[in-house]
Amino acid sequence: ICEEEVGAAQQMRPMLFPRDVCVFLPDLPLLQVFAFDHCFWSIDESNVPKYAGQEVVFKCLGEGILENAFQGYNACIFAYGQTGSGKSFSMMGNGEQPGLIPRLCCSLFERVHREENEAHTFKVEVSYMEIYNEKVRDLLDPKGSRQSLKVREHKVLGPYVDGLSQLAVTSFEDIEVLMSEGNKSRTVAATNMNEESSRSHAVFSIIVTQTLYDLQSGNSGEKVSKMSLVDLAGSERVSKTGAAGERLKEGSNINKSLTTLGCVISALADQSAGKGKAKFVPYRDSVLTWLLKDNLGGNSKTAMIATVSPAADNYEETLSTLRYADRAKRIVNHAVVNEDPNARIIRELREEVEKLKVQLCQAESMKAPELQEKLQESEKLIQEMTVTWEEKLRKTEEIATERQKQLESMGISLETSGIKVGEDKCFLVNLNADPALNELLVYYLKEHTRVGADTSQDIQLFGIGIQPEHCVLELCPDGDVTLMPMENARTCVNGTMIDCLVHLWHGDRILWGNNHFFRINLPKRKRRDRLKELERASPRESFVEADVETASEASSEQDYSYEFAQMEVIMKTLGNNDPMQNVVQVLEKQYLEEKRMALEEQRMMYERELESLRQQLSPEKTPQHHRSSSDRLTFPMHTSHSKLRLWTEERDELFRQSLSRLREQVVKANTLVREANFLAEEMNKLTDYQVTLQIPAANLSANRKVRPLDHTSNHPILK
Amino acid sequence: MASLSSAEWRALCDKFTTAQNLSEVESRKDPANDPFRSKYKARELLREIYCALKSFETTEGENESGDQRPTEQPVDGEREDGFGRGFNGDSPAGLRAAKLGAVEYYLGVNHIETEELSAGQEHLMNCMKQLEKCSVSSENVSLYIHVRNQLGILWAGRDETEKAQGFLETAESIYQRYMKEVSLVLAYTHTMYYLAQVYKNLGEIERAATYCHSTLQRQLLLNQYNPLEWALNAATLSQYYITKGRYMEGRHCLSAATVIAGLAGEVPSEAAAQESETERERRDQLRQKRAEIARCWIKYCLNLLQDAEKLLQDNIGELDTERQEELKRARRGEEEAEEKDRKSALLFGSEDTFDSIASLEEKVRCLFPLDFTEARAVFLVGQTYVTQAKEYFEIDGYVTDHIEILQDHSALFKALAFFEEDLERRCKMHKRRIDMLEPICNDLNAQYYLLIRRQLMFELAETYNEMMDLKLSLANRQADTQPLDNHTIKKFNHLCSSSAKYFQMFLDSLCSPEGKFPERLEEEVLRPALVARFRVARLHSRLICSVPSAQLDNLNKSLDNYKYVVEYCEAHPEAVAAVETELELSQEMVGLLPIKINRLKARMATNN
Repeated sequence: ICEEEVGAAQQMRPMLFPRDVCVFLPDLPLLQVFAFDHCFWSIDESNVPKYAGQEVVFKCLGEGILENAFQGYNACIFAYGQTGSGKSFSMMGNGEQPGLIPRLCCSLFERVHREENEAHTFKVEVSYMEIYNEKVRDLLDPKGSRQSLKVREHKVLGPYVDGLSQLAVTSFEDIEVLMSEGNKSRTVAATNMNEESSRSHAVFSIIVTQTLYDLQSGNSGEKVSKMSLVDLAGSERVSKTGAAGERLKEGSNINKSLTTLGCVISALADQSAGKGKAKFVPYRDSVLTWLLKDNLGGNSKTAMIATVSPAADNYEETLSTLRYADRAKRIVNHAVVNEDPNARIIRELREEVEKLKVQLCQAESMKAPELQEKLQESEKLIQEMTVTWEEKLRKTEEIATERQKQLESMGISLETSGIKVGEDKCFLVNLNADPALNELLVYYLKEHTRVGADTSQDIQLFGIGIQPEHCVLELCPDGDVTLMPMENARTCVNGTMIDCLVHLWHGDRILWGNNHFFRINLPKRKRRDRLKELERASPRESFVEADVETASEASSEQDYSYEFAQMEVIMKTLGNNDPMQNVVQVLEKQYLEEKRMALEEQRMMYERELESLRQQLSPEKTPQHHRSSSDRLTFPMHTSHSKLRLWTEERDELFRQSLSRLREQVVKANTLVREANFLAEEMNKLTDYQVTLQIPAANLSANRKVRPLDHTSNHPILK
Repeated sequence: MASLSSAEWRALCDKFTTAQNLSEVESRKDPANDPFRSKYKARELLREIYCALKSFETTEGENESGDQRPTEQPVDGEREDGFGRGFNGDSPAGLRAAKLGAVEYYLGVNHIETEELSAGQEHLMNCMKQLEKCSVSSENVSLYIHVRNQLGILWAGRDETEKAQGFLETAESIYQRYMKEVSLVLAYTHTMYYLAQVYKNLGEIERAATYCHSTLQRQLLLNQYNPLEWALNAATLSQYYITKGRYMEGRHCLSAATVIAGLAGEVPSEAAAQESETERERRDQLRQKRAEIARCWIKYCLNLLQDAEKLLQDNIGELDTERQEELKRARRGEEEAEEKDRKSALLFGSEDTFDSIASLEEKVRCLFPLDFTEARAVFLVGQTYVTQAKEYFEIDGYVTDHIEILQDHSALFKALAFFEEDLERRCKMHKRRIDMLEPICNDLNAQYYLLIRRQLMFELAETYNEMMDLKLSLANRQADTQPLDNHTIKKFNHLCSSSAKYFQMFLDSLCSPEGKFPERLEEEVLRPALVARFRVARLHSRLICSVPSAQLDNLNKSLDNYKYVVEYCEAHPEAVAAVETELELSQEMVGLLPIKINRLKARMATNN
C-alpha cells in the first residue's frame, strides 16, 4: 500500500512546495521532507506547467557558474543519483534536449568569441579523469594508460593531478569528441579490470585562461578558473561500497569490516575535540573531496544535482540520494581562525580608557580657555560613561516610572507620545514656545474635568495665576463642550478674557493663569461645520456669536501654535480696554500728520532750491549748452525726488519697526505686571501694578531722526 | 543408517566452499544490472545444504527433542541464562543443531546482503533457536557470538540502537563467560568493534573509545593486523586521548604506533622505487604513514604544552609563579604511582615489542611541564617530529599538509615562549614564527588557499603585535624614565604597522570579488572579523608619531574601526554575544577618541 504512495507523493507533492521533496517511508507512516534550493520536475513533458526542461535547469544553475568562471573563480557541479534516474540526461542530455554540460560549453564559447579581442584573449582546455578506489586515471590519455596518477598541491596552482592531460579546445564539438573518447576509455578500462563504472567518479574539468594585455605597456596578466563537472558514483553503489567517503554515511549503520576501524576512531577523536584542541587525524577525505576542496569554500560556486526517480520500487534509493544531497549541502570547508586570547590587549585598552578620562579631568582643572567648553561636554560624557550600562538602564527606567506616576497623577495621558493617536478623542494639548515642549502633553477630557493647582483637581497646573480651583470643563451629553472659569481665575479663550460660561469649539485656544496655553481638540465639534449648519438653518440671518470666529480663520485649526495663541491674547488685550492702546493710536495719528507736514516742507525746500538753481543759469548760454544743461538740471530733480521717496520709505519702515518694538515691550511689561499683581495678590499686598508709557515731550515729534524707541528714553517705566 | 557418510559430508563441505566463494569473491564481479547474481546462486547452494542436513539427521531418531521445544523467541538482553541447557554442545545432537544453526546463519547473512532484511532476520533467529538446543561449547561459541553480532548490525541499521546493544552485549558476556574454556576467537574482536560503534552511535564516546582500544589490543594479541594500518589506528586513537587530556594513554598509543609501524619494514630506497612501481608505492605508503604518525606526535607535544600553559597562566596570559610553585609542590611522586596503575589496563604489545614501546615512552613526559626546562624538553621532541613530518610533506606537492605542520611548529614556539622569562629570547621565538609563516603566506595563491591564508594572516598579525608589546616592555625596562630612542620607536612602529597590515589583509580577504566588504559576516568569520577591526583600531592609536597631522590621521582611522564594531553590532544584535568585551571597549573609545582628536586639533590650531 505504502509503496504506491511513494510515487504519488513524488509526483504530486513537489509542486506544492517547490523547494521541498517529500517522501513517504513504506515502513513508517511518516512523511519525510527535504528542502533544496531548486527542485525540478521532469517526469512528463506533456505536463507543460510543471515540466522543467533543460533550459530551466541551465538558467538556474549554469549561468551563475559560468559568470563565476569568467570572473576568475572556480566552479563545480556534482551530479548524484542512482542509475536510471536521469543523471546523465541532466548532465549531457540528448540531441534534441542538450543537457547542462553542452549548454554550459556553448555559452562559454559564445561569450569567448564575443569578448575576445587584441587585449583580451581566452584559452580553453579540458581534462577528464576517473577516480576509482581512491586512484586517479586519465581518461584522455591516448595510450589508455592504466597508471594511476598522483594528486598533488602546488602553492600557486592549487590542487592538481600530476601528469593529467590537458587538451586545448575551441568549440563544444571538440569537447564532445573528447568526452565521448574519454567515456570509451572508461568503459574499456572497466571491462579490462573487471570493475564497474558505476562505482567510479568521473571528473570533467574545463579550464579557462584569460589573458589581459595592456597594449601600451606590453604587460599582461592571467586569470585562470576551472569548472569541474563531477559525475559521482551511482548512489546505489555508494551506499553499498562506501565509495563516496565515510563521512557522508548514514549515522547509525555499523561497519562490519575491521578495515573501517580507523574511521570509527577518527570520528571519536573528532567528536570529543573541544574548542581550541588541535588534533591531527590521518584519515583524510577521499581523493575526490580533497581534489575539489577549493570548490567547497571561499568564493567558489558549487552546485549539486541529485536526480531521483519517482518509480515506487526505488524509494529506498531515492531516500538515500536525498539524504546524501541533504548532507552534501551542509559540507562547507570550515577553516576556523584560531585566535589568541586577547586578555592583555583588553587590559591595556582599559588602562588607556582610564588614562584618557584622567587626562580630561586634568585638562579641566587647568582651565585652558579654548578647551573649557569642550571639556565640560566631555566631562559630562565621561560621567555618563562611567556609569555602567546596566546601571544606566536601571536609572533610566526608574526615572521613567517616576515621571509616569507624576504625569498620571496630573491627568496627563500616557497612552500616546504626542497628540497624533487620540485623534477622535476630546483632549487638551499644551502649547509652548519651545518646539521641543510644544504639543507634548495631552490631557484627555472627562465628562467633568476640573482644572486647578489643588491636588484634588483632574488637571493640575502650577504657576503664576493658577487658582487652587481654576476652571471646570464639561462634556455635555448633547455634544456641547463648555468651559466655566472660577472667580478671579484668569482664563482666556481665543485671546478673550472669560468670566462666564463659554462654549468651546475644536481648535480653540485656552490660556489659564499667566502662561498655560492649551489648544482643545474636539474632533466632533468643528466650528466650520457649525457655521455651515447655522447658515443652512437661517441663510439670511448673519448670525454671529460672540465667540465665533470667521470661517477662514477656523480653517487652519491644526496650525494654531503657541505664538498664535499668545499674540491673540496680546492683541485682544491691547485692543479692548487698555489705555496704552490709545497712546499708541495717538502716536500713530501724530506720525501720519507729521509725515504729511514734513513731506510738504521737504517739497517746498526742494522747490526753493530749484528756483535758485534756475536763477544761476545764464540766458546767454548756447542752445546746445542749454540743452545739455537742462539735461544736467533734470538730474538733481530726479535724485531729489527719489531721495525723497527713499527717505519716506525709510521713515515709514522705521516707524513700523519702532511701533512693533513698542508693542512688544508693552506686552512684555504687561505680562510682568500681571505676574507682579498675581504675586502681590497671593501675598495679600494691596498693591496694583500697571504700565504707563511715559514719553518725554521732546521726543513726541516722531519725525526726529533718532534711533527708534531708544531704550533709555522710551522705555516704559514700571511704577 | 541414514547418517552422513564421509563422502556425503565432503560433498556438502565442497558445496559450502563454493557458496562461500560465490558470495565473497564472485559477487564482486556481478554486473550493475544484476548485482546479486552470485549471492543468489550461493543462497541456492546453502538451501540445498540445509535440506540435506535436515533430512539426513532427522532419521537418526532424535526428533523427539528439537521440534518439541517451546518456540518462544529468544531475545537477548532480557534473558541471558538460556545457555547451557539442552544437549551438550559436543554431543551428536548438539553438533547437529549447531550445524543447522550455522547454515541458518549463513542464509541469514546472505539475505541481509541482498537487502532482504526481514528474511535475513528470520534465518538469524532460527539460528538462535538451533543454538538454544545445545549448550555453549568450544565448537559453537563462535557461532553464538557471530549470530548476535549480525543481529546487532541488523538492528543498528534500523536505528534501533538499544536493541543492537542488547545482542552485542550478550555476545560479549558469552565470550567473557566461556573464554576460559575456548581459545581466543576472532568473532569476539568483531563484537568489541561493533560495540564500539554502537556506543559511538549512542554518543557514549568514552565507552566507544575503550572498545576501540580493546579491539586494537586483541588484534595485536591474535596477531591479526596490518602493521601500518594498526599503527595509524593507534595513532588516531592517541588524538582522542589528547583531546581528553589523557596524555599517558595518548603517549602509549603513539609509542606503540611508532614501534608497530616499524614492523612494516624498511622504507625502500629512492633508487629501488625508480625501478618498480610496487616499490615506489610501498616507499610512498611507508613514508606517508610514518609522517602521519609523526604529525600525531607533534599534536601530542603541542597540546601538552598548551594545556600546561593554560594551567599556569594568570588572567592576562602571563606565567603565574604562585600557581607554578603550588603545582610543583603537588607533584611529588603520587602521579607517577597512579600512572602505573592506570597503565596496566591498557597495555599494547607482546613480549617482543613491549620493551621498545616502553623505551619510546620514556623519551617524553606525559605530565604537564611546569617550567622552561621541562617545557623545552617537550618542545624539542615536538620539533624533531616536525622535521620528520616535513620530510615527507614537502611544500611542493603537499601545500596544505606542509603549512599545517608549519602552523604547529609556530604554535610550539609560541607555547614555549610562554615559559621563557627572558623577554629578548621570547621576542626571538616570535621572530622565528614570523620567519616561517610570512614567506609562505605571501606566496600562496589566494584563490586556492583562501582559508589557510586567512589563518596565516591572523596569526602573523597577532605575532607582530606580540613582538611589538615585548619590544616596548624591553625598552621601558631598560630606560625607565627616558623617552624612547629613535631606533626603538622605528622598530616599534614597524611591528605595529605590520600587525595592522596583516589584520587588514585578513579583512580584505573577506571582500567580494568586486572588493566590497560584506554587509553581513558569515558565522565562522564573525568574531575574527570584528576582533580584527578592534585590533586594527587599537594598533592605529598606538603608532608613535611626531607629526600631528599624521597622528590625527591615525586616530581617525582608529575611530573609524571602533565605530565599525559598534555600528555592526547595532545593525546585527546577534553579533553582540560574540564580542562582548571588545564591543564594550569600542563603545567607550567611540566616546573618548573624538575628545582626544579634538584636543589634538586644538593643539594643532594653537601651534599654527
